[in-house]
Amino acid sequence: MSLTISHLSVFNNHSENDNNILIDDFSVSVDKGTVLTLMGPSGSGKSTLLSIIAGFVSPDFHYTGEILLNQKRIGSEKPENRNIGILFQDDLLFPHLSVCENLMVALPNSIKGKLRREIALQTLQQINLQHLADRSTLQISGGQKARVSVMRLLLAEPHAVLLDEPFSKLDKSLRSEFRDWLFTELKKRNLPTILVTHDNEDCPIGQTTLHWPWHKEETLDA
Amino acid sequence: MYKSSSPASISFKLLVLVAIFICFVPLFPALLGLFSSAFAYLPALGLKQFSLLGFEQLIQWPGLFESILLTLLITFSSTFLAALLSFAIIQSMWQSKRWKWIETLLAPILGLPHVTFAIGFVFLFSPSGLFSRVVALLTGDSSNATWSLIHDQYGLGLIMLLTLKEIPFILLMSLALLKQLNLKQTFQTAHSLGYSTKQAWQKLILPQWLVKIRFSLFAVAAYSLSVVDIALIIGPTKPYPLAVLVWQWFNHADINHYTTASAGALLLMLLAIFTLTMIRVFEWLVVTKWRHWLTNGRYSLPLPGALSVYICYGLSLLILPILLLWSVAFRWSFPALLPTNWSFSYWIDELGYASETINNSVVIALISASIALLFAIVIHEFNVRRSRRKHSVYIPDILIALPMLAPQISLLFGLQITALLVPQPHYYLWVLWAHIIFTFPYIYLALNGAYKSYDKRLDNVALSLGLHPLKVWWKIKRPQLMPAILLAWAVGMSVSLAQYLPTLMLGAGRIATITTEAVALASGQQRRLSAIYALLQTLLPFIFFLLAVGLSRYYTNKNNQQHSARTN
Repeated sequence: MSLTISHLSVFNNHSENDNNILIDDFSVSVDKGTVLTLMGPSGSGKSTLLSIIAGFVSPDFHYTGEILLNQKRIGSEKPENRNIGILFQDDLLFPHLSVCENLMVALPNSIKGKLRREIALQTLQQINLQHLADRSTLQISGGQKARVSVMRLLLAEPHAVLLDEPFSKLDKSLRSEFRDWLFTELKKRNLPTILVTHDNEDCPIGQTTLHWPWHKEETLDA
Repeated sequence: MYKSSSPASISFKLLVLVAIFICFVPLFPALLGLFSSAFAYLPALGLKQFSLLGFEQLIQWPGLFESILLTLLITFSSTFLAALLSFAIIQSMWQSKRWKWIETLLAPILGLPHVTFAIGFVFLFSPSGLFSRVVALLTGDSSNATWSLIHDQYGLGLIMLLTLKEIPFILLMSLALLKQLNLKQTFQTAHSLGYSTKQAWQKLILPQWLVKIRFSLFAVAAYSLSVVDIALIIGPTKPYPLAVLVWQWFNHADINHYTTASAGALLLMLLAIFTLTMIRVFEWLVVTKWRHWLTNGRYSLPLPGALSVYICYGLSLLILPILLLWSVAFRWSFPALLPTNWSFSYWIDELGYASETINNSVVIALISASIALLFAIVIHEFNVRRSRRKHSVYIPDILIALPMLAPQISLLFGLQITALLVPQPHYYLWVLWAHIIFTFPYIYLALNGAYKSYDKRLDNVALSLGLHPLKVWWKIKRPQLMPAILLAWAVGMSVSLAQYLPTLMLGAGRIATITTEAVALASGQQRRLSAIYALLQTLLPFIFFLLAVGLSRYYTNKNNQQHSARTN
């Protein structure tokens, strides 16, 4: 599995001057089980890039170029059909569902009936949160929420994962532990991952990191 | 906030008491009066012993059971359809290119009074209405239609009208709710989990929306259950809905019917409690008890959102043109699509007669809406002050909303019994009083948003600068609340102008307003007059809305100018 971005240029629709290019001819490929980190200040277009890969259209920008997932072009697919999971800085658990139900929502349709709850409970057990299964998401801590939203994302069986500054709202003390755990889980599942951040500490060790302005045609060795 | 013994504090407390005495205290004798008269205890009418006479007469009434069933059918189906179709509209149109239009047209459509809507509906769907004419022209068969949605046996016309009229209301209430739901991020998360937009709406937004829209559905159901004016215009007649039956017993020449009417009013109140409970139970079943569907995967049902909005908006926008046509139609034979002869003489003749009625309506509305506005502000201030202290008494929302949720005719019964205790009749005063009670909750709710979003720290800053509390309110808070206050006042005006039962019941039929005339004419044969009164009924509140918008622009500009003058 791999996620490839080929000759991607992003243009700002609202820019008043001629210089409306947000990202200029950017190409990169991320192999399975590796993490590409994109560093950049706010306004450098890193979140926009993730939105484009995930397929969230916005009236604020348009783009040219190709996005390939496992050598397949996905640029014209609807976001829900892309098999790309995304994690934001807010946990975005659904407030009307319990912890366990937030996981059940993500399970593939092929899993039916009581099995859905069983698998969700097993997943909670893996992260030692089975005792919180029927709690409201408002009743659990920030660190617990973060782990539940990661497991929810993984249960939807994505083929690639995007991380949009997922650590920035966590306490310093939780951060490194959660980060290490997250990268281990992603590695276990052999998923290609793109992380955007503005914090040097977030970059996983032994992986590629691009500093803004990102170099073109960068290839990675795992 | 006030020092407890200052004159300002005493007069504020006095105002709170007056507001409570006029708006809330009567609700208790009203309920009491309803009970006592239902059990045939009416000293004013010479009935001084409790008995079950009223209930006996009620149960023996032929067709009572059918009437109850019909009332419940109308209430539940119109509430359910309005909720379902509103959600369908939001789901398929939200943030689409046409959404802007839907939002813009919401206010003018909501501004159409129910009675105007009903009279226009008659002109559209009666056997000789516009739709019959179109059908006749298309099929070439110009014999009058055999079907009718007006006074039809199952109340289909009434259900349709209530549904169409409540959809814009639920849409408006949903606008504010949806802003709290963090929709953009919910959709992004849902998409990344493989949910389509439609599936996300139904599986993730619907359960949250349904819980938050509960109060609006209560109001819609309570209204459908107890509506009399538009039920008289287009509702079923064999049997009548229960509220109409009660109204007829009440008006009956035979005084014995009064106890039947009282028992019926109490029954209606019980049905209202039953209905609201059922809505809550339905919500509980869907969202809590049977919540399995929330997490069983990515599925969705097709909902006719676009179609619903076109029909609802299309028909609503047809109402005024058809009324205008009828008001100037001299000769309009079936199945012609347009009148063959035109005349403005109806307008010219009628405006002379109508001027006193218009005058009456406006004076009652001005006085009652202004007093209710003052009370609403006072109660809001009282609740704001109370909420700062722990464990203190404040006026609960449910009490404020009671006149919206209880059947109007039932409350009016009690109010009338209370009024009977006063030896001399003061019809005008009583009508004003009833109007204040029924406009108050709407004004209060219209102010809710502005009060919630007002930054209370500004008050503290001003107070710490040594300004008198009254001056703080007048100089700091009032100017910022002014647009909301003006709008709330216009809402109150329109609610008062649309009152039918309170005017007739507490005025003993002696006080005529545009609305009572419009309803009276709608059941007669005078289509042109009926159209004219329906138009006047729309025009009056519209003028006050325009006034409110104009004044509020003026205030906003003035605030901005002062602001820019200071910054320059």
